[in-house]
Amino acid sequence: MADLTTRYLGLSLKNPIIVGSSGLTDSVDNIVELEKAGAGAIVIKSIFEEQILLEAESSLRKAYEDDMIYSAKAEALDYLDLHIKEDTLSNFIKMVREAKSETVIPIIASINCVSPVEWTSFAGRVEQAGADALELNIALLPSDTRMGTGEIEQIYFNIIDKVLSQVKIPVSIKISPYFSNLAQMISKLSATGIKGMVLFNRFYSPDFDIYNLTEKSANTLSTPAEMSNVLRWIAIMSGRVECDLAATTGIHDGKSVIKQILAGADAVQIVSALYMKGLDQLQLMLGELESWMDEKGFNYIQQFKGNMSQKQGTNPAAYERIQFMKYFSEIR
Amino acid sequence: MEQLQEILKEERQQAWREELRKSMKAKERTDMPRVKMLEQDPVERAANHLEVNLGLMEKMAVSEARRCLDCANPTCISGCPVGINIPKFIKRIEKGEFLESARVLKETNTLPAVCGRVCPQEVQCESECFYKIKLNKEPVAIGYLERFAADYERNSGNISVPEVSEHNGIKVAVIGSGPAGLAVAGDLVKWGYDVTVFEALHEIGGVLKYGIPEFRLPNEIVDVEIENLRKMGVKFVTNFIVGKTSSVEDLKEEGFEAFFVGSGAGLPNFMNIPGENFSGIFSSNEYLTRINLMNAASDEYDTPVVSGKNVAVIGGGNTAMDSVRTSKRLGADRSMIIYRRSIEEMPARVEEVKHAQEEGVEFMNLNNPLEYYADDRGRVNKMRVQKMELGEPDSSGRRRPIPIEGSDYFVDVDTVIVAIGVSPNPLIPASMPDLEVSDWGTIKVNKETMESSIPGVFAGGDIVRGGATVILAMGDGRKAAAGMHEYLKVKARNK
Amino acid sequence: MNKITEKEILNSSVVKLVVEAPRIAKKRKAGHFVIVKIDEKGERIPLTIADADPDKGTITLIIQRVGVTSHKLFRMDRGDIIMDVVGPLGHATEIEKVGTVLCAGGGVGIAPLLPIARAFKEEGNRVITVLAARNKDLLILEDEIRNCSDEVIIMTDDGSYGNKGLVTHGMGKVLEREKVNLAVTIGPAIMMKFAALTSQKYNVPTIASLNSIMVDGTGMCGACRVTVDGKTKFVCVDGPEFDAHLIDFDEMIMRLGGYEVEERKAYERFLKTV
Repeated sequence: MADLTTRYLGLSLKNPIIVGSSGLTDSVDNIVELEKAGAGAIVIKSIFEEQILLEAESSLRKAYEDDMIYSAKAEALDYLDLHIKEDTLSNFIKMVREAKSETVIPIIASINCVSPVEWTSFAGRVEQAGADALELNIALLPSDTRMGTGEIEQIYFNIIDKVLSQVKIPVSIKISPYFSNLAQMISKLSATGIKGMVLFNRFYSPDFDIYNLTEKSANTLSTPAEMSNVLRWIAIMSGRVECDLAATTGIHDGKSVIKQILAGADAVQIVSALYMKGLDQLQLMLGELESWMDEKGFNYIQQFKGNMSQKQGTNPAAYERIQFMKYFSEIR
Repeated sequence: MEQLQEILKEERQQAWREELRKSMKAKERTDMPRVKMLEQDPVERAANHLEVNLGLMEKMAVSEARRCLDCANPTCISGCPVGINIPKFIKRIEKGEFLESARVLKETNTLPAVCGRVCPQEVQCESECFYKIKLNKEPVAIGYLERFAADYERNSGNISVPEVSEHNGIKVAVIGSGPAGLAVAGDLVKWGYDVTVFEALHEIGGVLKYGIPEFRLPNEIVDVEIENLRKMGVKFVTNFIVGKTSSVEDLKEEGFEAFFVGSGAGLPNFMNIPGENFSGIFSSNEYLTRINLMNAASDEYDTPVVSGKNVAVIGGGNTAMDSVRTSKRLGADRSMIIYRRSIEEMPARVEEVKHAQEEGVEFMNLNNPLEYYADDRGRVNKMRVQKMELGEPDSSGRRRPIPIEGSDYFVDVDTVIVAIGVSPNPLIPASMPDLEVSDWGTIKVNKETMESSIPGVFAGGDIVRGGATVILAMGDGRKAAAGMHEYLKVKARNK
Repeated sequence: MNKITEKEILNSSVVKLVVEAPRIAKKRKAGHFVIVKIDEKGERIPLTIADADPDKGTITLIIQRVGVTSHKLFRMDRGDIIMDVVGPLGHATEIEKVGTVLCAGGGVGIAPLLPIARAFKEEGNRVITVLAARNKDLLILEDEIRNCSDEVIIMTDDGSYGNKGLVTHGMGKVLEREKVNLAVTIGPAIMMKFAALTSQKYNVPTIASLNSIMVDGTGMCGACRVTVDGKTKFVCVDGPEFDAHLIDFDEMIMRLGGYEVEERKAYERFLKTV
């Protein structure tokens, strides 16, 4: 019988499958169900800075529409956003605490950051609530023409710096692949003292409704095809970074889990797979992993983790190849 | 509405009004500059608690009253939350009939001496004045004139006490003796009801007494109004918390047939940032209550207050202004306002900001506190502040403050007052589970009658609006009184 | 009118006053307190209602003189009037039949503990009370406590009465030897802190009744704020009782010292006039 235990962020997981931040992990009840379904760890649904602002906005708007409330400049409403933020944060912290009291698997709190300023004291409170680790989702699309590479990248380091100074629990970050020198960036980030990196953040994909001439969202759920870029970079960076690596996006079956671990991932995060195929998919994936390990004669994850990474693999050049050469020859 | 327009038109056509209009050319009127309020010298007044504004002298008042053009369409009235008949009271001043002017005011406004002092006229009546909207000149000083007429009446000793109808023996309970409660009491007692006002504190007047400092609204002015109500037959019971000392049900058993809840928005809000519970950090309610209600600044009174040399007040409303100016008077070397938006966007009355600046208050706009630090006795001694810049406007049209990364710095403070707003007092809603309340804890009422979800229980003022103004509370009170009157008439009929 | 109908000096610094307050007497339950202001220039202070007689319309207050106001109360006599008394404030104690209740009272905290111990006993619980005081003279209400407890353990700092030691020693003895279902502790903040730590070792749910500085007592000013389970609570409207294991006692003790300097100066000034 294969032993699926793995270590991620210094935490002991009973298996390498983590359910990522999503609607699946937004309530204590759901989290309890996911634990029952076999998850190795949970990332609680991200708390978003923008979400708080939007909620404050809508509360304010409701207030103005109620004409018993005094006026736009009312003293009482002046700091309303603060209270809404406090409420949202308290609810989040409450959820962390309740999830911890009702489960035994590691609970990772996810925070969506765009600046280091808001979250410093918050990170401390999340730690107090009992979160086993923090996942900072730093999602900065380099779309601002005025910001240079150095500037954008500096924000990442500032955020990490601030949060690390506030908490003792392990901190991981989830990043996008949009860096001009991704390898160097991942390497530098891994040396900051964070315990893990999650590759890659999946951005909201825009689409157009050409009949109503409005924007809409495309592919809310990932597809297996999206896995390969993550696979590439996990393989390239495995063994070259000072922290753990977790793979996410497009992991829909047990085979994909195996592939990512072979590439060097210490753990994987899944979301869409469960949306599409239900919670039972988790057991199926774990079952596939186990059978494969038994077949191949691996008793422990450590025995095959990273075997096919660039560092350890037999064909290192394969990962760097981005163009097709000689009509699909060489790499089968 | 048409009815009102008709009445206004009729009144305007009366002989005395026509005469006044003819007595001076419009151009002469509009050429006059707006009157300047007599004020105590800033340096002197920053060391005393006497009223800053000294009031207009008679000649000044008459002269200012002349500026009013007695418009055919008085837009100023639309700016008044309770629709005071502004041209009428101003013209009485012009005619020299000051007592009559006060009487006109009291037709709509129970406490004109209070409103003349604390209403934010610059966003109410005066903002709709013809001078402002059409001539782009300073509006008629409606607030100063209201205060003048009310003060004149009070000082003359000839206070008009409205006639009280025959007693009908019906008992009504007013919960809370702030502006809303006083307004309800004033109307209901006039109509012959047996009115008892229950007040939780040991003094009557609510926020008028504990919240607004002496240098803005002397307590004795409030006491004169309360005395008037007593003369009319209103009973006041202090140290009585409805919901604790007795419940509404208990009072019903004692024969009270209708209730008005005017318990206000007394729950202080804090920012919940690290260190906010250190000694020396107060809510504005605590600070002002100690000083205004308990006279803590005086050694003769037992209540202590701690007000240091480096005082920071967080917030930008009238409460913040009151707190910071009080700290100056208590001997602070530095009295600072820390507000996260610009000075123009502060919700405080323009006059308060101006007076504060003159008194030497430091305005640190576009700043926000992040954390407080203390000495080893737990007494605050430092705070970390962050600079802000203004981003996109939010729903209110005000630009959103965005923190500037890396801009934090330290400020030495030994006293901090958090004046970021108040929420509705939860005691009554907690004691009456059937009472419908909003998400913010405000009691929901029918806007016409001010009746809550419980028949016979009415509400108004801050408990319904969240922290608002004195004039709105009074307006609510008068509406509620009318609503209660109807309710009781129907109840009596159906007996 | 809030007339004092009875006065009894319990020891050199503690007095018992019975005051007319019919409405409060009717509504009062164990755990409630009042805010009292003696005269025009007095300050408002909280005092636990030690007892009440709804038929006579009176409430009993037990006061230890530690400052200006409490000292003035100590010197008042039968027939005097306390200008302002408002209540009942706070949430009443939740009295349930749980089995064995360990009550731990220190100093003047024994006064508010008495009605609670009595109520638990009347509800059918086994009540063991540990009373603590610095010395024999400062120990109050021993007989009254004995009347409503199955066992009483007395601790004095100097051993002048009962056992020598602190309240935590007394508690420890009980917790070691038998299962306790609930603990209640009232007394100086530092005492409650250590009492809570003691009961926590044995995983016994514990209630502490807090005595913060107050001004209005109705939730209006926040002077009495305390951190419980990471959140800010107001002792006057959310308490005065809280889960002792969740209270940030260090912060509370620090806040209690907020007016120390001013109060000491005022008390010294006052003592000169006495």
